[in-house]
Order: sequence, then structure tokens, then C-alpha cells
Amino acid sequence: MTLQDAKKGALLAKLAPSVAAFVDELLPGGDGWPSGATIGVQFPLVERLIEQNGEQALMALAETLDRIGAPFDGMDPDARVEAVKSMEANEPARFGWLRDAAFQAYYESPIVVTLIDAAGTPYKILPHVSGYDLPRFDRATQTPRHNRGRYIPTDQVAPVDTSGLNLDTVKTDKWGLQR
Amino acid sequence: MTADKERDVLVIGSGATGALSTMVLAQAGLDVLCLEQGGWVEKNEFAHTHTNWAWQRATNWNPDITRRDHPDDYMMGTDSSQPLMWNAVGGSTNAYGAIWPRYRPSDFRKGDEHGMQPNWPIAYEDVAPFYERVDAILGTSGLTGDPAMPPRPECPTGPLPFTKAAKKLSEGFDKLGWHWWPAEAGVISEDYDGRPACNNCGLCNGCPRGSMSIYSQSVWPKALEAGAELQTHARVLKILTGPDGRATGARWKNRVTGEIVETKAKIVIVAANGVGTPRLLLASGIGNSSDMVGRNLLHHTLVSAQIWVDEQVDGQMGYVASVLGREFAETDTSRGFVNGFNFNCTTSAPSAGEMATGWMSGTKAPWGKDHHTWMEKRFGHSIGLFAIGDDLPNPENRVYLDPTETDEDGIPVVKMHYEPGENDKRMMNYMLDRLQDLGEACGAFDIQLNDYRDADGVYRTPAWHMIGTCRMGDDPATSVVNGWHQSWDVPNMFIVDGSVLATGGVVNPTPTISALALRAAEYIRDNFVDLTTTERTLAA
Repeated sequence: MTLQDAKKGALLAKLAPSVAAFVDELLPGGDGWPSGATIGVQFPLVERLIEQNGEQALMALAETLDRIGAPFDGMDPDARVEAVKSMEANEPARFGWLRDAAFQAYYESPIVVTLIDAAGTPYKILPHVSGYDLPRFDRATQTPRHNRGRYIPTDQVAPVDTSGLNLDTVKTDKWGLQR
Repeated sequence: MTADKERDVLVIGSGATGALSTMVLAQAGLDVLCLEQGGWVEKNEFAHTHTNWAWQRATNWNPDITRRDHPDDYMMGTDSSQPLMWNAVGGSTNAYGAIWPRYRPSDFRKGDEHGMQPNWPIAYEDVAPFYERVDAILGTSGLTGDPAMPPRPECPTGPLPFTKAAKKLSEGFDKLGWHWWPAEAGVISEDYDGRPACNNCGLCNGCPRGSMSIYSQSVWPKALEAGAELQTHARVLKILTGPDGRATGARWKNRVTGEIVETKAKIVIVAANGVGTPRLLLASGIGNSSDMVGRNLLHHTLVSAQIWVDEQVDGQMGYVASVLGREFAETDTSRGFVNGFNFNCTTSAPSAGEMATGWMSGTKAPWGKDHHTWMEKRFGHSIGLFAIGDDLPNPENRVYLDPTETDEDGIPVVKMHYEPGENDKRMMNYMLDRLQDLGEACGAFDIQLNDYRDADGVYRTPAWHMIGTCRMGDDPATSVVNGWHQSWDVPNMFIVDGSVLATGGVVNPTPTISALALRAAEYIRDNFVDLTTTERTLAA
């Protein structure tokens, strides 16, 4: 075994606890909510990472988590958060993918779905199968009575005055959220 | 090369318009073959039937053809828009939302109104009867009596449930004195034509139970019952023409066996959507004497907002669209631009995971200790708002073929370019301000706007609507087809998909595209004998 192989082996050996610890920093438990690792978010996370990015992504993940000190043994809670923040700042694309994948895996857990539903927000793991109960539209009470709105019939479409628009000469540089 | 027998009609593409065309012509007793590059989507293949449905909606069921790896797709590149489509029997209806509003009469007369868009060669009144008949074929839902639209008969099924989100929005519209109306939907609120009523699941990207009209379930069974033949996994490589300029059929590849087949036909109908149709015409070198094939791509000016309110509105439940707002649908030049826009108000993300990862506005839940508090306050409290406007055509906004890159069959890779013009930018600014108004009127504690511009400022709109790329008109020099969808250059070739729309209106186009396709198919049916010999296309 080469030194490189030995190093890879060591990283992979601690990958399972490292991913679990990372997931628990993203999705800590508390106030009745299970932590991410408690319900196994790390398993679909790793599977999907490989599905989307190939097997080499596993080693890259191990190296990334190693750089931030995962599985965070001996680190106090604030230091763990700071470690994850450093990954967020230094590897935003990778971090963003892992965060989103972890969130998705967490909320497709039947355990979490059941907890959301039990807390008062109707929610189902397979809503398409059983649906949600909603009352039928009530024409007597839910038909709009505002009488607002108009349309121009075909034979009444007439030229509008566009002379003041100056679309060819006045340009809008700041548009969208920059407006 | 295998020579197939000659058909009366060859239809290319089995989506909404190919399905309707095939049905009408097969029911008339014609020998119709439809070629579809994809396959049937079985019910259990849809994301809806799996516990990881939200993940699938972002990955293998992602409607963006450039962000999934699916063997039924063709190669496509874009420097701007997100091209959303699905390639399978039923086409993009396998993944659409089926919001079902109609065009307005003025949408067909923009040439008269301001001249920056063409008049259509037909009017609203020409299309209206076909809206009703398409509704009856598919099953739709909605409420009549909207004063902002021409009168119309009742929908086949009544309005879908008026959700808490709809109620909240209606209060906001009322506060502003703006028009609103319950959304029309290509979804049935009662059992209809052997399909079950909507069960309010909220997963409105296609619908394997068939409550939403996906055409593989609502139209194709009727077409096949009438004797039509549907060849799946058949990728058309070229539309063939003879020395007289008439189409003689198509050369296609059986994607399962690799066999190359030539099918002859008396009439060819192209129904491959606003990207696929210009791709095929350009690759075949036909129909483009006007140089308009692929040009004037329209998406609609689109911006959006996500709002969160204190009340629990449970937007994860119910049909995806809640109310439509038509207050600004007509042109008012005092706003600083021509054309108008609608509000397409939705419910919300059906998935907590989608909410956490940035649904609609891109606003994500925080990670760490504040995550659960954020979600408790926001999941079930969110509403999504779109403003969708009529964009002006620009010939440089287009679908075109890459000059060097080809796919495995030697077909040039199709590319898309789109950027909004001056009028569109002004409209988007105005729309964003009005979305802010609406969010505030609803009492939202947070309003996040989305202009769909990336970090480099490029407008990357989610483009379900890819229209205008083979537009209809009165003049062969500025349009691709006449008012009956007949190619000016190839008189027995008809284009029936959304590429023929001359303007985009302020609404989701599938109802109009479908009505037009039904109208065109009946024209072909009623004039079939003449069309099998005609050598010249006339203005409709």
C-alpha cells in the first residue's frame, strides 16, 4: 500500500461519522425535531452525490470534510459551526449542493413528514396517492362580486399613442431587482 | 434504409397538438401515423408515486432539458433561458401545470393597437369555438362570468377548491381595488371521461392519476381507438420534399433498433414544439424562404415573488394556481410601455424540502440552530406570485442550429438565445413594483422578488413558453405559415404547435395552442383531397 492509498483509506474510514456529524450541523435536533443524522439523512446524501457526480465525488467529499475537521471530535459547538461556515465560504458550490441535498433528504423522511403533520400543517409523504381534503368551491359565497375588470372587443381595438414612449432612444439600464 | 408504406397523414410529435391532430384525422377515417421520439410514461414512472418525489422533480424529472440526462431528449444548448419541455407521448403535458386561461381579443390585434407586433391573420372569434371544444375533449375547470374576459360557456367541471391562499390573495387584490378571478385549470374538479377528480395533492407537474389533462391519458386513447398508429422512440431526422416542393414524408430513426425508415405521406403535420419544429425545419432545409423559422422567439416577460404571511394558508395543498389577476392585461401607455400582463398566483411548494431549498424566489432556509424555527414559521405560510406579460418579438431572439456541433445522428445541435428588449424591461420593472404592492396588501411579513437574472445579469427565465418561432401571418415574407397553419413554402406541410403563435398574450399558451391545433386539424380533414394535390399556399 502506498502512502497515498493509506491516506485515502484513513479518510474513507472516518467518512461515515464525518458525514453524519456534518449533517447534524446543518440540521441539528431540538424542540421535537430529530437531527439529520438521527433519521439517516447522510445515506441518501452520499448516494445522490455519487449518482450526480460520479464515484470520485466520494473522495472529494472525504477530503472536504477532513479539511474542516469533521467528525469534529473534541470541538465545542461554536467551533463546529465555524468549521462548517468556513466550508460555506470557501467552497460555496459544493456546500450549496450538500446543504440542499440534506434538506431534501430530511423532508422526505416519513418521520419528519409525520411530525410536520402532527404539528398542525397537513402534510403527507405521498400526497398524490391519497390527496388532501379541501372543501368544494362554494359558488354562493366564493364567486367574486367585485365586478372589476375589462377587455377590449376585437372591433374596438384602436391605435394607442406611443409617441411618448421613446422606446428607441430612452434605454432602461437598471431593470429587475436593480431597478 | 427501410421504406414504409405511404400514409394519408404523418404527424411529427405526440404532444398536445400532435395528439389532437392525430385524433381528429384518425376519427375521419384517414390513415395516420404519429412519430414520437420518446416513449409512453407509465404511471409509476412519474415522480409523484415515489417518496422522493421532490428530489426527482429537481433531478430526473427536472423540466429543464439542459439540466437532466434523459435518452429521449435531443441535444440543446442555451446562453440564456431555461428551456422547459418533456419528450414523451403527451409531450410537455407530462410535466406542465395546466393553467388554462385564454387569450384576449386584443392579443390578436397588436398590429392595429401599436404596430410593434403583427396582427394575427385570424381573430379571437375564430378561435373561441375551439377553446370550448378542446375544453370538452380534455375536461377543464373554472368559473364563468369574469368581466375581464369575453363571455364563455361553463367549463365541463366547476371551479377547483378555493384555497386559503386564494382567499388571502383575494383580500389583497380587493384592498388594492384590482381585478382577480379563480384560476381556470386543465384539471377536473369532478370525475370526467373516466378520469378521477383532482385530489388536491399539490404536485401539479403532470399528473399520473389523470385529474390533470395530460394528453397521453385524455386524448391519445381516443386517437388510438380511432385507428391511429403511434410509433414511439422514432426520432425524425429530416422532412423529405419532392421536386415540386411538396413534402413527401420523413426519414426517421427507430431508437430501439437503430433502423432508418422513410415514411411517405400525402400530408405532413409538424407538432414538435417551439424548439423542435424550427430545429427540424432548419435541419431539413425547408419552409424558410422568409428567414423567419426559429426567429421571434417569445417566452413572456416573467418575474415572480414569494410572500410569507402569518396566517396558515397551507399552500402545499390544492391545485397549483389559485387566482388570476387581469387588472393590467390591456395596454396603458401611461405606464411607459405597450402591452399588458397578468398575475398568475399560485399556492405554494407542495414539499417542505422544496421550500427549504429555495422555491420560487430562491430564498433558502438557514442551516443550523435557526433552521427549524424558520421552517415552522414559513412552511404552510408561503404563496407564490407570477407576473406574466406580453413580450415584443425580436428576430435576434431565436432558436438556431449550431454551425459545427452535431448529435449522434448528425443533426446539428439546437441552440437558443433570448434577451428582453426595452419594452420588456420597462414592463418587468413595473410588474415587480406591483408584485411588491400585492405582497404588502396581503400583509406579508416577508416579500422576496425574483427577476430571473443570474449573477452576470443574464435573464434566465424558466421558459415553458417557447413560441413564435414559426409564426403565422398574412404575408409570406414575414411569416412561416398562413392562418390555417399551412407552410407558405411547402403547401402540404402544416405546423400546429406553439411555434405558430404570432403574439404571446399574457397567459399560459397551451389552451390557445390546443384550440388552434384542433381548428387546423379540422381544416385539413375537411380539405384533405384538395390538399393532397395543391401546389400553392394561399392567404387564409
